[in-house]
Amino acid sequence: MKFKAFLTENGVNLLEKRFLPALDKMGKICHLYLNRDHAIFLHNLLNGDGIQSIAQFRKEALFDDYRISSQNEDRIAFTVDISLLHRALRSSVSICTEFGNGPTANRLQIRLVKKLPPNSTQPLPFLTFETKGYKSAVIQDVPISKPLSRAQVLELQTALDAAQDLPQTLVQVPDLNQLQNFVDRMRHVGDLLNVTISKYGDLHIQISTTLITLGAEFQKLLVIGEQADAPSEDRNLTAQTRSARAILRGDAQSVQVSVKHFGKSLQCHLAKPDCAFYGIAAQVVVAQFLAKSIARLLLVSIFLCFGMG
Amino acid sequence: MNSSSLAEEAPDLVCQIDNAQGMVDALTTVRWKRQQDAVVELSEHGVVLIVEETGCLQAKVYLQRELFTRYEYNGQGRPRFGISLGLFVDCLNTFSVPGQSTILEIRYPGPDMQLLLKSVDSLDACIYAEIRTRIPDTVSWDYNFEPAGSTPLTFTVKSAALKEAIDDLEWPGSSIQISLQPVPSTVTFRGEGHGDLQIDLMYYVNTDLLVAFHCDRQVSYRYKYKFLRATTSNIPSSVIKDNRGSKLTIGRGGLLKVQHLVSVARPSTSHPRIDSAGYQQPSRIAYIEFFVKPEEDEDTANG
Repeated sequence: MKFKAFLTENGVNLLEKRFLPALDKMGKICHLYLNRDHAIFLHNLLNGDGIQSIAQFRKEALFDDYRISSQNEDRIAFTVDISLLHRALRSSVSICTEFGNGPTANRLQIRLVKKLPPNSTQPLPFLTFETKGYKSAVIQDVPISKPLSRAQVLELQTALDAAQDLPQTLVQVPDLNQLQNFVDRMRHVGDLLNVTISKYGDLHIQISTTLITLGAEFQKLLVIGEQADAPSEDRNLTAQTRSARAILRGDAQSVQVSVKHFGKSLQCHLAKPDCAFYGIAAQVVVAQFLAKSIARLLLVSIFLCFGMG
Repeated sequence: MNSSSLAEEAPDLVCQIDNAQGMVDALTTVRWKRQQDAVVELSEHGVVLIVEETGCLQAKVYLQRELFTRYEYNGQGRPRFGISLGLFVDCLNTFSVPGQSTILEIRYPGPDMQLLLKSVDSLDACIYAEIRTRIPDTVSWDYNFEPAGSTPLTFTVKSAALKEAIDDLEWPGSSIQISLQPVPSTVTFRGEGHGDLQIDLMYYVNTDLLVAFHCDRQVSYRYKYKFLRATTSNIPSSVIKDNRGSKLTIGRGGLLKVQHLVSVARPSTSHPRIDSAGYQQPSRIAYIEFFVKPEEDEDTANG
């Protein structure tokens, strides 16, 4: 089982400035799953509790000179603490900028190793970051779990395939930051959020308790997938009635999720996605964030699913 | 749609406000604990919210009709309803997104006697809320504030200084004595408990701190610290920043009235009519009043 690659400057920027801060909000521990073409960060895919997040990178988006080999069709997966990974990456960046002669002079190599830590008789696996300066090299070891077994990797791959079914209708959320602000304030009022998404391009979120109903409706959002024209007779109705009628007509779906999870998904604005889409499939809200400003279209996508959890 | 809404009676109140944050600030000032029931009273002059604690402390927030950009009152005989203050404030807070001005419409009653709120300034996005109201409790004690004599016993102190003084008095503990004496004109806060702490505000020394002072005889009353603290503990930071004055008056029997002014004006960037000195139209101010009863066993302290 071998893995060795050089992180490109763009790859370092993507991870350090955008994706790791966002993924850290999804949960401290995640799976890092590497195969011949992709590096994938996965949250809660196997235990199914809480928000599931998939951030998939084509290898070219992060690495050059990417070498991977294992007896399991060149697939390697393990768990890693995102904050440690982020810290190692950040200090490597500061070493490069402080001592380097420009970005190309310093190459940041990332490698899977087994080392004998002090006071231990068992060698343990690490992800090693090696920054070569002009006269020195800095090596940082990020502890990781034992690599997942063949059966576990298969389970991860199956969960990954299953989670990537797109909802029939996705709406584009225009301002994640603003929505997050709003949802953060809603959290004081209740725990469960009803999310309704219609083919007309409506996103309707609502908290309802015995004492209060609080909600927000965003209309005329960009729709991907199945869409329909909003019936004109619905125009003057309240958001609640409009949603209920759309559901009856089969033009909308509704699901109840935890406000906390929904708020977490909005934290993905930290990854500065170019656009964000929300949809409902099989009783989970699916949020898809696309960052396409990088060299090739759709090189990167964070894919989040969260249900009642 | 229109025919059915015509058939319904006009609601008691439909009003709009362009600064939800100002309203949040004003109401937060009287939110001294998590679970608090409030009574709201509507009239042609505005909205009054009243909160009370164990017959010893009462607070009122006056939101006059001038604070609202629209105010349509159709009620009969001052309708009143009970509401959870915490829920009301948390709910209003969701309407106040930083960096964005929202016009908020408030309507009472809804079909099920709810208080209805919604944002009305955007066609494609709408925030709405319905808050359940209760039949109000009868106000247990009428805080009939009467002047103590022919001359009012009153002083006005910078809000930040008042808050700081009361915060400092936490250390000695449960009971705080407030004394006013005419010569030399001084206000004294004194706490005795785990130790003694005395704070003197001297009008003749520092008129920046103590802005106004009226007193023709020496008086002294004791108040429970926790009630005194409630009068300043939740003053919004905007009031501390404005640092106008808070006015304290001692009425008959030692009843203490504390008044704060909370600005409900929109942020100055959008209102050029506010001049550089920070002057805001007086009509855009919400008045907050606290009434604190003195401790009863201290009658002997007054001469």
